[in-house]
Amino acid sequence: MSRVPVPCHVKGTVTLQVGDVRTSQGRPGVLVIDVTFPSVSPFELQEITFKNYYTAFLSIRVRQHASTHSPAKWVTCLRDYCLMPDPHSEEGAQEYVSLFKHQSPSMTFPKWLSHPVPCEQPIPLLEGLPDPSRVSSEVQQMWALTEMIRASNTSTRIGRFDVDGCYDLNLLSYT
Amino acid sequence: MLQEESDLSLIIAQIVQKLKGSNLYAQLERQAWASLQRPEIKLESLKEDIKEFFKVSGWEKKLQNAVYSELNVYPLPSHPAAPPEHLKEPLVYMRKAQGSWEKRILKSLNSMCTELSIPLARKRPVGEQKELLNKWNEMGTDEPDLSLFRPVYAPKDFLEVLINLRNPNYENGDSLSFRTHLGLIQVPLKVKDIPELKECFAELGLNTGQLGIDDSTQVPPELFENEHVRIGQKVLAEQDSAAAQQYIRQGSPTALRAELWALILNISSQPEDILYYEQLKMNVIQHDLLVDSLIYKDVKLTASNDDYYFVFEDYLYQVLLCFSRDTSVLGHFAYNSASPPKSYIRGKLGLEEYAVFYPPNGVIPFHGFSMYVAPLCFLYHEPYKLYQIFREMYVRFFFRLHSISSHPSGIVSLCLLFETLLQTYLPQLFYHLREIGAQPLRISFKWMVRAFSGYLATDQLLLLWDRILGYNSLEILAVLAAAVFAFRAVNLMEVTSLAAAEAVLADLSTLKVMPLLQIFLFATVT
Repeated sequence: MSRVPVPCHVKGTVTLQVGDVRTSQGRPGVLVIDVTFPSVSPFELQEITFKNYYTAFLSIRVRQHASTHSPAKWVTCLRDYCLMPDPHSEEGAQEYVSLFKHQSPSMTFPKWLSHPVPCEQPIPLLEGLPDPSRVSSEVQQMWALTEMIRASNTSTRIGRFDVDGCYDLNLLSYT
Repeated sequence: MLQEESDLSLIIAQIVQKLKGSNLYAQLERQAWASLQRPEIKLESLKEDIKEFFKVSGWEKKLQNAVYSELNVYPLPSHPAAPPEHLKEPLVYMRKAQGSWEKRILKSLNSMCTELSIPLARKRPVGEQKELLNKWNEMGTDEPDLSLFRPVYAPKDFLEVLINLRNPNYENGDSLSFRTHLGLIQVPLKVKDIPELKECFAELGLNTGQLGIDDSTQVPPELFENEHVRIGQKVLAEQDSAAAQQYIRQGSPTALRAELWALILNISSQPEDILYYEQLKMNVIQHDLLVDSLIYKDVKLTASNDDYYFVFEDYLYQVLLCFSRDTSVLGHFAYNSASPPKSYIRGKLGLEEYAVFYPPNGVIPFHGFSMYVAPLCFLYHEPYKLYQIFREMYVRFFFRLHSISSHPSGIVSLCLLFETLLQTYLPQLFYHLREIGAQPLRISFKWMVRAFSGYLATDQLLLLWDRILGYNSLEILAVLAAAVFAFRAVNLMEVTSLAAAEAVLADLSTLKVMPLLQIFLFATVT
């Protein structure tokens, strides 16, 4: 089953502030990012990938039309998912994160969005080792990738630091 | 498949991939082929029989040790979307700071080149090659004129860079407030507190026997030492890296230390390794590098002046000169925030086919670098073995002491850990030293950058490095630094200047590290 990126439009961040007056001194701790999907055809969302920048907790809400006749509803898929275990230190501050659809109790797309998640479900503990044939196929893939890279890289010789016996250098390069 | 399962299979796949290129893989293949001759190997149960043979003959253990070594050294595979720089260092501002620092070093080296009109590298004429080959075992007797050379940088220059590190996303305020850090390091890295350190270093607790405490002359050896030595011999007989690493947390008996360290670092000197070292020696003979002069100068200034280490001067050249030529060291830059300096063959500037790294191993030595090697000379006497051990210690630990990164064992974290421990548990002392202009880190920085080499007595240093290996972490250096301040707190409270504070802490050669660590972590009333 192949997965493709879904074209989406990510809007700029909007800070949530109390009251009507917009002030820059309030320094609110909550920002909202709107993501819209221009393509009209339905798709099954498997994974959301992003790079964090000092966000401590993440909530995701989705608006979905259940059917053509009923109005669109907002449902919460993820609430206060922790990205930074200690928000005052650097842990997790600039990490790459993936959120998978199995992190909610139900496995299929429409059901996933129609049941709001009240709290984070604990991920079931791993039992036993992964399937050897799956590992073997991953090793094969990586091996093939390395071979491709090695084949295209003709100039490096293992252990040698010179070029054709010459190591006459001028100055160090800054780039 | 769940995320954790696919993570685990990815880790396994990566380790298999790495080991496939190793000597061990070739050896295992050969052994498997050779085992077909054995009567217990039957065609119908080939796979199981060979597996059983590996288990019985000790080859499985060797493989386990290799896997354990990979897990210890290489970081876990990161997110597929993460670029290689992210693995080197996840925080962008730290990467930038490391890049700027490197640029300064390169500029310094380049200006030394142009001022002295000495090339970065040149091929030695045949006569000079012969001369060096004859003198190989006594390079210390050489007295080249090194007066014009200066070290590329000293630890205190590096400290200034670390003091100026800022996270652009961290609201600190320019003026002193409750939000600014009281110490010199201003970046908000996560460091452990004493309860967490107690958990982490549990084997150093009061109820566990330690070498460095429970083997002193007043303690009868039947109580701890004899049994500990017996267990050590058993661990060596089993040739189990993981067991050795666990064992050495309580210290290593002197007689077993060399073998234990080699087991933990997964170093076994095969004929290929000896040949490789000889090849590096040939590289030294054939090419002369500017970096060699820096190494000479460093050894002459530091190790040769040290009462404990001057006898090993010749060994130090034999290790460090070869180290500079070793391209296998380039591999560690995948997880080091630093990058190897680049250059071009003369006349081919900008042409990628003529791009090379300089020095070949990508590491430019700084003032005090040779002190990383010196203590190892007490343990290993064959140059190739000494070399292998040093190289592995460097790519596992020492590189973190002079590159800017957010890693918990990186020098920035160690500095912050030291300052935080002192502020939290000795607030009066910290405040007093700040008031008299003696920021504690200015004194302890040089200890940590050198992993205390040259500051402690050698037997104490080796007990400390036992624990670095045992816990696979350099955090113990910061804890010891704080423990030293705690030990001399009474004297330090009486001084009124930075110079006087430095005088109180100038001589650490009488200190016993294990009691200091134990008292600081487990016996101080907080």
